[in-house]
This record gives sequence, structure tokens and C-alpha cells, in this order.
Amino acid sequence: MTIDVAARSSVGARLADLEISRAWLVDPASGREGPGELVVEDGVLVAVTWLEGAEADGIDASGVVVAPGFIDLHAHLREPGNEDAETVATGLAAAAHGGFTTVCAMPNTTPALDEPSVLARVREAAAASGSPVKLLAYGAVSAGRAGEQLAALGELADAGVVGFSDDGAPVRSATLFRNALAYAGMLGLPIVDHPEDPTLTEGAEANDGLIATVLGLRGWPAAAETGSVARDLAILDDVLRDVPGARLHLTHLSTAASLDLVRGAKAAGLPVTCDVTPHHLALTEEWLAGARRWSWEALGDDGAARDPWRDGVIAAVPFDPAVRVNPPLRSAVDAGACLAALADGTADAIATDHAPHTEVDKAVEFGQAASGISGIETAIGVILAAVDASRLPLARAIEALTTGPARVLGERSPGGPQPRGLVEGQPADLVVFDRSAMWRVTAGALASKGKNSPLLGRDLAARVLLTVAGGRIAYEAPDA
Amino acid sequence: MVTDPGLAAEEIAAGGVAEDQHPSLGGDNPAPAGRWGHRHLLDVDVLSAEELDLVMRTAEGMAEVLARPIPKVPALRGWGLTNLFYEASTRTRVSFEVAAKNLSADVVNVTASASSVTKGESLVDTIRTIEALGARILVIRHAVSGALYLAAQTFGGSVVNAGDGWHAHPTQALLDLYTMRSRLGGSVAGRKIVILGDVLHSRVARSNLWSLTAAGADVWVCGPATLLRGFEAWAAAGVGGSRRFTVTSDVGAALRDADVVMALRIQRERMASGLLPSLREYGARFGLTRERLDAAKPGALVMHPGPMNEGVEIAPDVAAGSQSVITDQVANGVAVRMAVLYLLAGARE
Repeated sequence: MTIDVAARSSVGARLADLEISRAWLVDPASGREGPGELVVEDGVLVAVTWLEGAEADGIDASGVVVAPGFIDLHAHLREPGNEDAETVATGLAAAAHGGFTTVCAMPNTTPALDEPSVLARVREAAAASGSPVKLLAYGAVSAGRAGEQLAALGELADAGVVGFSDDGAPVRSATLFRNALAYAGMLGLPIVDHPEDPTLTEGAEANDGLIATVLGLRGWPAAAETGSVARDLAILDDVLRDVPGARLHLTHLSTAASLDLVRGAKAAGLPVTCDVTPHHLALTEEWLAGARRWSWEALGDDGAARDPWRDGVIAAVPFDPAVRVNPPLRSAVDAGACLAALADGTADAIATDHAPHTEVDKAVEFGQAASGISGIETAIGVILAAVDASRLPLARAIEALTTGPARVLGERSPGGPQPRGLVEGQPADLVVFDRSAMWRVTAGALASKGKNSPLLGRDLAARVLLTVAGGRIAYEAPDA
Repeated sequence: MVTDPGLAAEEIAAGGVAEDQHPSLGGDNPAPAGRWGHRHLLDVDVLSAEELDLVMRTAEGMAEVLARPIPKVPALRGWGLTNLFYEASTRTRVSFEVAAKNLSADVVNVTASASSVTKGESLVDTIRTIEALGARILVIRHAVSGALYLAAQTFGGSVVNAGDGWHAHPTQALLDLYTMRSRLGGSVAGRKIVILGDVLHSRVARSNLWSLTAAGADVWVCGPATLLRGFEAWAAAGVGGSRRFTVTSDVGAALRDADVVMALRIQRERMASGLLPSLREYGARFGLTRERLDAAKPGALVMHPGPMNEGVEIAPDVAAGSQSVITDQVANGVAVRMAVLYLLAGARE
């Protein structure tokens, strides 16, 4: 494989000339993957050649892979209001480092993105950053994310938001949630719900299972998510009578039971989609106790979670605040269910829930630490670990990062509901990563201001070599 | 977990380290009883049966010191020890203070209200300050489970857990084990030990589950279903992945032929959070009364980590009765904490 970039250029510059020969191309838009080559001229993908026969000899999926740029349905960029944790500029740089060319920002900023002027401010920051990564945004469901009155949904829709979410402060009132689904449906936009029954999670710290019991942490029951998903689906079914265009997207599902509910709802024809995160499919509650193995290594042959103490795998200091996240890391069984849901299409997308935090908010007692993992740069490495372990086909993983989220976004996806893919004649929008190259996750290696990754110090595969967004360079590895 | 191979106390005893830099082990000091390799004591989960035995034997030596006319040895002379308590405590703090003073350490007590955290001084800042003021051993009680691990990562000396949230109270578990061993002929192996009450919120119960199962006891935990949440699953998995215990809400079955009954404190906030109907109902169904105790073995030991709600989880006549070893627990706490501080200091040098 060779990558030949005509002239080294800086982030944001139009990609003048690029030739990638003898790589493994994955194009979910056409459903095709295999050995191939591509050429970019003046930012436009001018040639995609699929190699056959002898020309393809020696090229397989274990080396350099080229795929359409990834779309992240769920990221926190913290601007405005918490620029110490992240800014739009650092968040977009982190996205590019992770291979993402489109990022959907959550509206839980300060002030909340509940009316168009905040959106304008975020867009100005994106333009000023010079990053070619496409910034999309959700508007808040309720004014000030307070869960009482609807936010300016119509004005936000006119201004271009891609959906509505009160992520992090789940809409508590079922009536308000019902009205939001109907109103957003009228506008042709989805409600993106973070399903959590807050009456079951007050003060909760860790998944309500063996690890929480042993460590003395306040349990966060799976039922808090499952019950909320059941409520949301029942309300969606109800709203559809009057508003056939109503759509529901459930984000960061983390339990086997809630994924089963979505599986059933999809089979019944409800317009519901969902995503899972890299950390909920690969990490488990035993990381709180200091274990550091992947979820599939923590699953016994009998289908039950293994005991980290019996296995003698406590390798790190317990109670690491970096693994405090909402929803909490679940059992190996739940993580396996997230992988299974991706494989069978129940989960439409992988979203990172990138949640950067400052050291001040994270380097504190576990139960007082802010929830969230800085994950947009490690996502592809974590997902490829699952692929390497044969827990997920490569093509399906790429689909869940590209066409899957594009369908969730529908008409407001950058390329429409069908993303560009590796299509000749379009501006290049792609990521090049090397599955055989390891990189070490360190604070210095992360472009995000949020260094709150439980993977710090770990080597991940699938190093991103080049990210091109809309024909412009978004990220280029220093030595690629 | 956070451990440091360090040096065994006996290696120090063999000489080679200047007297002013280590616990001077000659003269009035008891002889060290074996190898100890832990820099901190954050939980008993990392202690093997042999290490538990070492603490017990070292504590026996300390009990002999306490029996002397002047119960004081120079082992920790020149060592600064700070008690940092984020939660109210009388017996544990005083016990550590007495233990440290008996070893000739210089003791500073800091009572930090939990609200100072919200005022902006972080635990990490507080610990750095205390270290800069010369402490080499830090004894901490904190309301948040696991806070001690953060402390141990920050502090350059040794950290001793005096109770963290619902997670662990290792010196309580050690003094409980010491008390049981001394009353049961030197071993708890095969003995039926019942922990009765609010197990869910109890760091004492969790630490005792680790140490008592490691020592081979037949451990039962008993209480209302709302206060046993998650423990059936732990019992099925086993402590440390293998050591089984029994969980039940049937007080009669739990107490039948028991060798030891340890009642746990019930806090009033359990009613406000809807876990129990009333203290009165708790006492009627789960309180350790004379009648219930009669189902246990004759002479079964009655224990309580304190402070007690007499008439709720334990009847006054039982608490003060001939089978009660509750005051022994308090006295033994000093010897056990002396042993822990002594072993930690030895490993540090």
C-alpha cells in the first residue's frame, strides 16, 4: 500500500492530490468492500478502482483501510459555557483524529442550545476553527433543558438543527415528551432521547450488579433504562396515530433488555432507531474494580459474566473516575448484547457520547466525579478491537459509523440519507486507517482537551493516517 | 491494588537502617511476626490468610504492650500521623489516636466537614497540604466509596482506611477477627458467624465478608430484603470469586447454632428513603433480642461495631449481657491498630 499526498498541507486546506494504491476499501453505500485504489484531485474523488484477480493479491482487510468519513451522532463539544473542558475547535480536531468528518453536537451547553442564537454562535466557532469537519447540532427539547416547556423547536428547525434532545436531563414528564415527539414529527425531525428514569438513579454510581455490591457503590439499575425505553416506545406508538412523521432515536442504549425492546418495536414497524457507544460494547462494570479486559474476554462460555476476582485480573487501581459514565458501564452480558444488536441491525449506529471533562471535575472521589468518557479519538480503535476478536464484521462496523447514522439523520445528513460513500465525482470525504499500526493513548496524543479516557496508557490498533472532510484535510498523521 | 513490596519488618529488625529513620525494633518493642508487604491498608481484600494471621499475631504482641504499666513503645517515634476524618467518628478516631500515641507517633487530628469539598478544596489538595506538613501516615475516613484509592495515589506515605462510604472498614474487620479469635480458641475456621442488619449500606459487613471468609468462617448475612440488595448474587459468585457465604432474611435460620452474632447499626435515614417501614418494625422483626439469641449456641458471642441504637437493632440486656464482647472490640481496636501502623511503617522503610 502506498499513500501519496502531492504536497503536505495544513488542516483545512483543500486536498490537492492524493493517490492511495493497494488498500482495502470499504464502501457501505454500495455495499462493497475489497482491494482497491483511489485518486483525489483538487479535493474531488476522481477515481475509485476495485482490484480483481492477480492485481488484488496480497491485499487484505488487516492493513490499510479506506472508508467514508465517520458520522458521530452524539458528542459534547462544551462550547459555549465550558471551554475549559472542550471547545468547538478542539472537539472538531479530536473528531478528525478519530476519523469523523461529521459531528452532531449535543445542546447541553451553557446557555443551552434552545434557540437559534446559540446555534449561530456554535457555527461561528466552527467556521473560525478552520476545520473542515461538518458540525451539526441538536436543539434542546425543553427551554433551558428544564423539562417544563418546549424549546423554540420550529425556529431551531428553520435554523438547521438535525433533531432535538435533552440529553443528560432526560425528559421526565411523559406528557412533555409526547408533545415533543408530535411537534418534532410535524417538523420532520427526530427526538433523540437519553432513556433514564431518574427516580431509579438518584445518587447512583455504578451498574447495579456484582461489582457495585462488592465495591459498595450505589446501584444504577438496568431497569432505569429499560423502563424509560418502554415508556418512550409506548408514547411513540400513541403519537403516530396523529403524526405519522414522528421519529424517535434512542441514544447510548446499554442494556440487553432495552435493546430487546427496540428489536421488538422495529419488528412491529415503529419508526425508532438507536445507537450504542464504543465503551458500552467493549468495556464493562468490572473496570471499576480495576479489571482492564475487553467485554468479550469477560464473558464466560456459559454466557454469564466472569468474576474478575476469581480470574485474578484486577490490574489497575479500583474506583478510577475515568470509568464513571452515564449510563454506567454494564455487565459483560449487556456489552455482548450491544455487539449483537449492532450485528443484527437493531442498533443503527455507533455514537461516541464523547464527553470531555476537566481534571478539576474528574480527579476527585469516584462518586463525585463528572460522568463521561472522552472517546471520539479512541472509538475506531475500540471498535476494531471487537472486529479483531471476531465480535463484529468490519463492514458492519463501518456501516454503523457511516450509512447507519446517515439514515438516522435522514434529509439533514450532509449527503442526504444516503451518504456520499466512495463515489467518483464527489468531494472526497473519507478516512484512512491502518489496522496493523498500534498507537498509545496518552494525554498528549489526544487532541481533545478532555483527557478523561480510561484507555490512557493502552495501545490501540487502527491508527488513523488521514481524514478528509468535504475535499479538505481534517487530519493527517505526522509521519503518514 | 496499591501495594509496595517494600521491606519486611524483620529485615529492618536485622539492622542496617539508622534508628532515627525507622521504627526502632529493639528494646521495648515486640518482635515482628512475619513478612508484610503492603504500603497502604485500603481494604482487607488484598490480605491473604497468612497476612491476616500476621496482623493477628502482631496485635497479640501489642496487647502485651498494652498490659504493661506504661503501655508505650518508641516504634513510631518521629513519625507524623494525621487523622483526616470527613465523617463524624468518636471511637475509630480516638482508637487510632491512642494507638499512634502508644507507638510514640506525633498525631494531628483534622476534622474536615464534607462541605469543604463543595467549597472548593479538593481531597487531592487537602492531602498534598497534609503531606507538606510532614505526615507520613494518613488515616482517612470518607463518605464516598473508593475515595481512599484516590488518596493513596496522591499521598507519598502510607494511607490507612478508617472507613470509606459503604465500601470498606479494614481495621474494624481486623479487630472483629481478633476479638473472635481470642474468644473462640484462636481460630474462626468453621464457625458460624452471623452479620445481622443493614448489610447493604455497611462497610463493616463488606470488609468482614472478605476477612472472615478468608479465615475460613461460615458467614451468614441476614436482614430485610431491601437491605440485602445484590448480596444473593455476591454469595453465588463467592467472595474473591470463590468463597461462598449465605444470605437470608430468616432470622431464625440465621441465628440457629451461631457462634457469633454481629448486629449492625440501623440509621434513621433508611426510613426516609423507603427501605423500611419503621424502626419499631425493624426491632420487632430483626432486633437481636434475648429470645432470638437463645437459638444460637450457648455462650455465642454478641458483637456490634457501634454506635448502637439500643432497643432497635440490639436489646439493652443483650448488649450489656454476659455474652457481649462489645467493649472487648473497643479495647482490641487499639492493639489491632497499633499492629497495622507498626506493620505499615516497617514496610515503608
